Amino acid sequence: MTLTIDRRIYNDSIISKAIYWLAGDYIIVRSLLDDNTELLSVTANNANIAEETVKTQLMQILNDFKLRQIVADETRDIKTILYAKAFAEDEELSEEDIND
Amino acid sequence: MTDKEYYLLPFDFTEISGKEVLVNELGDMIISPKGTVQKIVDRSLLKDDLYKSLIANFFISEQIIPPLAEIYAERLREKKRFLESWTGLHIFVLTLRCNQNCVYCQASSQNEESNGCTMSKETMAKSVELMFRSPSDSITMEFQGGEPSLVPDLIEYGIELAEEKNKEAGKEIHYVLCTNSIHLTDRMLGICKKYGVVISTSLDGPAFLHNSNRGKKDSYEKVVAGIEKGRKAVGHEKVSALMTTSVDGLNYPIEIVDEYVKLGFHAMFLRALNPYGLATHNDNWSEYTDRFIDFYKKAFEHILELNKQGIYFVEEFAAIVLRKMLTPYCTGFVDLQSPAGVINSVLIYNYDGGVYCSDESRMLAEFNDYTFRLGSVDDKYEDLVFGKKAKEVANVWANEALAGCSDCALKQYCGADPVRNYSTQGDMYGNRATSLLCRKNKAIIEYLISLIIERHDEVMPIFRSWVS
Repeated sequence: MTLTIDRRIYNDSIISKAIYWLAGDYIIVRSLLDDNTELLSVTANNANIAEETVKTQLMQILNDFKLRQIVADETRDIKTILYAKAFAEDEELSEEDIND
Repeated sequence: MTDKEYYLLPFDFTEISGKEVLVNELGDMIISPKGTVQKIVDRSLLKDDLYKSLIANFFISEQIIPPLAEIYAERLREKKRFLESWTGLHIFVLTLRCNQNCVYCQASSQNEESNGCTMSKETMAKSVELMFRSPSDSITMEFQGGEPSLVPDLIEYGIELAEEKNKEAGKEIHYVLCTNSIHLTDRMLGICKKYGVVISTSLDGPAFLHNSNRGKKDSYEKVVAGIEKGRKAVGHEKVSALMTTSVDGLNYPIEIVDEYVKLGFHAMFLRALNPYGLATHNDNWSEYTDRFIDFYKKAFEHILELNKQGIYFVEEFAAIVLRKMLTPYCTGFVDLQSPAGVINSVLIYNYDGGVYCSDESRMLAEFNDYTFRLGSVDDKYEDLVFGKKAKEVANVWANEALAGCSDCALKQYCGADPVRNYSTQGDMYGNRATSLLCRKNKAIIEYLISLIIERHDEVMPIFRSWVS
């Protein structure tokens, strides 16, 4: 089966992470159709898996990684500050260190 | 609600039992309805109890830097406290000689009469010197084999050296004898009693199963007699047992648990086979892993039932995970740590003078694979623990920085294992999508969370009693 992905919605990192987790069950070949469109050709290792199941699973995992990406992007700076507070020696970081 | 009325703090999420399970960097968990994360990032949360809970538990903050950031930082430090204490567990592989013939032997043990596979006194002395170079205030000297009780003189020599060194070092020091209990002579037990050596034995279950696993007809009777003898010598609570789930053992979850209860133990570790030594001959590891997960759940349900009947009995793997989940503290269990327990928490001094970064590493060496050999007892401590090999391992020992692990909501409860990755997947980095260790750990951790979600009032009093 094939699935067309809009890269303006799901960027390269999100697609890569989603595919990583599916690698145990599927062979997935990626190809770029144009700057914004990516085609995923998916072959299940187990021939008994229904196409709808594959699509549902793939979209679910893409959406989850999109949410994770948002959380990661929004928390990158505060995460650095909190870890620096915890583990860096004499590290004084404050609100100004966050590029809001 | 307008955008930026609150700020996100780092967290991840997964779906278990129809709920969204959110886990933050501190290992705190919030069980919420599906769609919660979408609402959090969309800023469409209602200011209800869930909102307050997300604030109180460091998932979101109404200030750009949470007012309790210092507490957050202190709790982060606590979760990695095991790193501050440096290497605490020092395993001395005294000999490969053994008096059993276990079908799953992971340690490449040899015949009782074999030569050239026992540690020399010189190697022991150098190993003890290295052990005392560890900055840790509390160290454990663990004797393994083969069967270490075959060399009581060497054990006594090692302990006496350690006691002498410790007069100056002043460390808290513990001794552990890992034995099959077949050869617990009065001399051996005298040493245990004199120095407070804890006995860790192995018992795989009822007689028919244990004897079959050991390749002996009377192993069970001897082990049970050894356990009794050990308890009389060093005290009931200073004798523990460890089981390994052989392929045959997968069929007997209830019987194995009942055997431990019958023998008066209050805890057991439901332990899967490791793919080292003779165990590598197992035909189908994928099938074994799935069957082990099923075995684990059946045995665990039985353990829960026993606890509900008033019999206090702990499943140790679950207790470690639950401690990470339900308390602010870290655990000392080397297999579920990030950075990994290798080197950070454990060093191995092999009978041949090799120094390895984990017990499994020295098992690989018996198959001429020295990937995880840090050096020898003749080397300087700094060259061993900060050397090129150690740095190579350090590149891949934190699950926060590994593909697959870094985005996993359960990473706070799990650990990195470069040695297992290497032995099963051919490289230290590993691939989580096809890793059987990942499959097993995830399945068990998800199962424990599912119990908390679906049977909260039933299981939480038991779980709390295990971690308190």
